[in-house]
Amino acid sequence: MPSHLDTGNTAWLMASTAMVLLMTPGLAFFYGGMVKTKHVLVMLKMSFVCLALVTVLWLAIGYSLAFGKDVNGWGLIGTPAHWMMHDIGMNSLTGSIPTVIFSAFQMAFAIITVALISGSIAGRATMRGWLWFVVAWTLFVYVPMAHWVFAPDGWITAHLGARDFAGGMPVEINSGAAGLAVAIVVRKRKDFERETIRPHNLPLVVIGLALLWFGWFGFNAGSALETGGTAPMAFLNTQLAACGAMVGWPLIEKWRLGHVEMLGVASAAVAGMVAITPACGEVSPIGALVIGFVAGVVCAFAINLKLKLRYDDTLDVVGVHGWGGVVGVLGIGLFATFQMSGKKGLFYGGGLDLLWRQAVGVVVCAAFSFGVTWLIAKAIEKTVGFRAAEEYEDVPGAEEEQAYDDETIAEIRERLAQARVAVPVAVGGAGTTDSASGGVGVDAELLAELRRLLERREQEK
Amino acid sequence: MPQIFDSGNSAWLIMAAAMVLLMAPGLAFFYGGMVKTSQVIAMLKMCFGCVVLVSILWFAVGYSLAFGKDAGGLGVIGSFDHVFMTGVGLTSRTGSVPTVTFSVFHMSFAIVTVALISGSVAGRAKMKGWLVFASVWTLLVYVPMAHWVFSPDGWVAKQLGAVDFSGGTVVELASGAAGLALAAVAGRREDFERQTIRPHNLPLVVVGLALLWFGWFGFNTGSSLGVPGAAPMAFVNTQFAAGAAMAGWAVTSWWRTRQVGLLDISMGAVTGMVAMTPAAGDLTPLWASVIGFLAGLTCAFAISWKYRFGVDDTLDVVGIHGWGGLFGMVMAGLAATGVMTGKKGLFYGGGWSLLGKQLVAVLVIGLFAFAMTALIGKVVDLTVGLRQSPHAAEEEHEQVYQNDWDVQFKEIADALRGSGIREDGKEEDPSVLLEQVRRLLEADPEQLRE
Repeated sequence: MPSHLDTGNTAWLMASTAMVLLMTPGLAFFYGGMVKTKHVLVMLKMSFVCLALVTVLWLAIGYSLAFGKDVNGWGLIGTPAHWMMHDIGMNSLTGSIPTVIFSAFQMAFAIITVALISGSIAGRATMRGWLWFVVAWTLFVYVPMAHWVFAPDGWITAHLGARDFAGGMPVEINSGAAGLAVAIVVRKRKDFERETIRPHNLPLVVIGLALLWFGWFGFNAGSALETGGTAPMAFLNTQLAACGAMVGWPLIEKWRLGHVEMLGVASAAVAGMVAITPACGEVSPIGALVIGFVAGVVCAFAINLKLKLRYDDTLDVVGVHGWGGVVGVLGIGLFATFQMSGKKGLFYGGGLDLLWRQAVGVVVCAAFSFGVTWLIAKAIEKTVGFRAAEEYEDVPGAEEEQAYDDETIAEIRERLAQARVAVPVAVGGAGTTDSASGGVGVDAELLAELRRLLERREQEK
Repeated sequence: MPQIFDSGNSAWLIMAAAMVLLMAPGLAFFYGGMVKTSQVIAMLKMCFGCVVLVSILWFAVGYSLAFGKDAGGLGVIGSFDHVFMTGVGLTSRTGSVPTVTFSVFHMSFAIVTVALISGSVAGRAKMKGWLVFASVWTLLVYVPMAHWVFSPDGWVAKQLGAVDFSGGTVVELASGAAGLALAAVAGRREDFERQTIRPHNLPLVVVGLALLWFGWFGFNTGSSLGVPGAAPMAFVNTQFAAGAAMAGWAVTSWWRTRQVGLLDISMGAVTGMVAMTPAAGDLTPLWASVIGFLAGLTCAFAISWKYRFGVDDTLDVVGIHGWGGLFGMVMAGLAATGVMTGKKGLFYGGGWSLLGKQLVAVLVIGLFAFAMTALIGKVVDLTVGLRQSPHAAEEEHEQVYQNDWDVQFKEIADALRGSGIREDGKEEDPSVLLEQVRRLLEADPEQLRE
């Protein structure tokens, strides 16, 4: 590797980092648009606190544990020697790029991974429980796994020899398995069985998708850490896989439902990019297209598993990220080409050698993530509480902030509801005529009051 | 500085310019979501108006006055030798990047700065007045200041030697001071005292925040390209400060109201990035987080000063950008490491000198921006008019949202008013009207879907 700074590579990595950091707000909109109106602010907050907390944690200790010198050569965890970016200055280099920007790039990965999990417990987790979860999960689950896969001396990379280009294991499978664990601990919504996701603001979902898509090019092509070599191919593969999935998923949807929904198309694009994340720098464009297509098909089925197995993975983190990640990581074992990754997959004459290594990686990462996440979530549930009140009617902060200013309607509704209690005779079509002069008088008063309210509001607007 | 062309630096500056240009729409959404429904279009127009006007002005004369050869060596203003980009060709270089890119990058700064001011007169400025103000302000206030600080011959950069890499004074403090002056000239809204910001569309605010955040990485790093490794450091520090400032703002907010809203943490993030603007590349990550945290903590107080002083700074331009920029400048005087500029702050053995220089820069630029803005604002107000007369906007009101909520609201309003006097001369029966309203309420789009 060159040991001098390359401005081109640095420029691209800075751009990539900014793009990946934009994915977390993108994810917030993607999720926020999908939930009910009353839950959108909580959803946005859950993602944005990750931006704050994980950033600070990464600076404090996360980077060092993930990318510091390996402890004992086991490839399990790094040393805390670089806490608070100790010993890392403007001139420290990782390859041909400054270490600080490499650190920030990896930080962006950590942030989005944690934020992804929020989808599986949308609309029913307490904010306090979530804050504790973010801190604990980043340190005990994400950071070790990032070391295993992304650090050159981590055991999956160095000892097992499995390939993972841009984080299929630590980001996608990890968030999927963790999402399953928290969804189980936090339990189902009351109306889980009879309710499907009805996005309150579908354009917001698609704005989120657009930002995710844009950011994913930084996510995948930035992982090359250079502008030559695999970066352009990773870029192209990302686009191809997204499109492959956007063909596969709608076909299944058309077959099963009889029509294609925008939400399905949006999820499909995400599924394709999830699947190509580990594989984008390992496979040929044909391989990328096939992996994307397969991921679209698999994920379109996988999101229905939650109804069969009865776990409430609300926004399909397990179905899209978990299963998409599995498809991608295993796909490397099948489609890896020698030119791209230096290893051969099954279809390119490499036999089963790479495939079983990939499979071991998948199983260990999923099991580790599920197990530790379950413990963390359970501990939080027992101590500060993770599951919000049964109905989640009491949305945190709802009295203080509203997503959309529909206050006038809310106020009119409340006034009428009060009147209903006070004058029961006035309810219903027949009641109004029965109640004679008294009821009409009350109604007239109420109407005048509502008119005044309306006038006041319109002046304010 | 290296005089040879560097493709990497050039690529990043092009990217950074595009990112900063995206901040103006981002700001439009950020402000647009915060105001009332009837004002959102005006808010978007004000920001996009800046994009158009300032771009043309910058090309015509702004670039030359800001970055042309210094007139008389005083460092006060540039010359007219690059009017309409004369003498700037494909091969012209500024440092290691093409001059054209450099010029566009600084044009995007000018656009964002002017657009920022619009927040302090949100919902009550007249569009004609605003457009005139924006043009005059760009030429008479922004361009000279940009010359002082960003041009190597400017007096703040050269004679004084204060540290301000990405515009803590020119962009943040100046927009804050200008916002204060303009808000005072434009006067308060009628209902200022009892109104807090109630965003009509909070997700739109957050969309704006996302774009601002993304753009800020270009904003804070683009000016640091001269020193290898400084731009990545500036990048990282921007993120650390934003994260820490969100936490800081949340602490203040929790302490005062026991609640932390999404609007609070959004403003917190902006605050941290504002405070990082002056010296992002010249700080250690640890100091960046500390400065960010303190900026968040104090700005959360600063925004409530408008009630104490009775100035209607509607969307908190003064509290966030003015105070945040000032704070960042002063902290740079304390904590600058000097790796980038060679100027060390107090904590790194540079003594009091840098701090003094920072304070002079802050004071002069703050006062200049305030006084000039007050003057321009007053003249505009007396000639074309700055303050919109109440209810003037209603006539040319465009339909903002053509969706269920809006339609439902209109129907309910109509039902409440009744269809007036009926044919037989008697008024509609109140009970019937109320029943109609109830039916319309039942048809709540959300409940219908469930």
